[in-house]
Amino acid sequence: MELLDRYLQAVRFWLPKAQRDDIAAELSEDIRSQIEERESALARPLNDSEVAGILKQHGRPFLVANRFRPQQHLIGPVLFPIYGFVLKVVAAFYLLPWVLVWIGLNVSRAAHSGKSLMEALASLWTAFWPMAFFIVGAITVVFAVLERVEAKSKFLDQWDPRKLPPVRDPNRIPVSATFTEVTFNLVFAIWLVAGMWYQTSLHFSGVSITLAPVWPYLFWSFFSLTAANILASGANLFRPYWTKTRALVRLVSDCIGSALFCWLLKANVFLSISVKEVAPEKTARVASAINWWAEKMFPFAIAACLVILLFDVYRIIRVSREPRRNGLLNQIHAATH
Amino acid sequence: MLAVLAELRNEQYGYTLRKSLAEQGVEIDEGTLYPLLRRLESQGLLVSEWREEDKRNKRFYRISREGKVILKQLLSEWQSIGRSLESVLKES
Repeated sequence: MELLDRYLQAVRFWLPKAQRDDIAAELSEDIRSQIEERESALARPLNDSEVAGILKQHGRPFLVANRFRPQQHLIGPVLFPIYGFVLKVVAAFYLLPWVLVWIGLNVSRAAHSGKSLMEALASLWTAFWPMAFFIVGAITVVFAVLERVEAKSKFLDQWDPRKLPPVRDPNRIPVSATFTEVTFNLVFAIWLVAGMWYQTSLHFSGVSITLAPVWPYLFWSFFSLTAANILASGANLFRPYWTKTRALVRLVSDCIGSALFCWLLKANVFLSISVKEVAPEKTARVASAINWWAEKMFPFAIAACLVILLFDVYRIIRVSREPRRNGLLNQIHAATH
Repeated sequence: MLAVLAELRNEQYGYTLRKSLAEQGVEIDEGTLYPLLRRLESQGLLVSEWREEDKRNKRFYRISREGKVILKQLLSEWQSIGRSLESVLKES
């Protein structure tokens, strides 16, 4: 019975201290009865592998002992979905942007200082993990504390159905968003007309800026696009719902806006800057630095524009695929209002 | 739980209890049965004592007075659920 004693010793190790002897004695008695019954059926003592078979049937010592312990968990099934959701939000809106910004800054710095790209990526690896572990650990600790508080106070049971958010229609354009768009476009249009017009030579407060000959084309393109955007946003005030046509118009407008912005960054718009009582070499360096940074921003601008355009495409797909959902939402609105 | 309480109206130890339940079609593995017996005992529904039988110490369980009351309630609940289910299944 050496095998049985070894098994019982392994089980005992994981058993709750107060009941260790009692449970082990009962378990031993159960297994011995089983062995005896098998031996009397076979009319011979069991060999080691037969005893091992019985023990294996009982289960791994840790698991057997575990069944006698009270159920324990760091974050239980009630809070776990919220915990998972918070981790996903943090990953999408903090960790991922952090990595992207970090890559952008360090790749640009590496290109400037002559460091290798692999060196920059290796330092990302060492910088990212401690930060990510700290954030995930902190969230886990907060939820573990909430779990204990919830078990005592049952705060999740205290809720009011009247405080639930209203039914959301993803295709409805909020008035606040339309107002923001109209205001932003108006301010931009006024700034273009009052400050930049289409001349290539600007003078204000002792500063003279000479813009590249390409500027008038850029000016009229930006001005026309802004005027069209003001009209489209104005229409949204009267019919505040995304339709397939409107979503397509927005995609086209954003495509043109993205192309113009990328062109602006590549166009080396600042030919020269002169400031009273400042040496021309200094102002030339400023103009060249502005153009240099504009060109360096080009890949980030492309990435940002792609994100905007992907969102526009997603909106078109959503509007095209959701006529049934819209119908259901309209029914809910009709029933509740 | 109902089967265990009902079976322990007659005193038994763990191994024989498991066997007699299995013979009646209620298979419960020892990893479930022994923790259940301890939980029922801690709730006062069972009483147990260590006693020698066939030259070996065994822990014998039987239903307590409180356990009998709970068993009666559980049985009536079980029968009521059975009747309701029967009626639902008949209708469908």
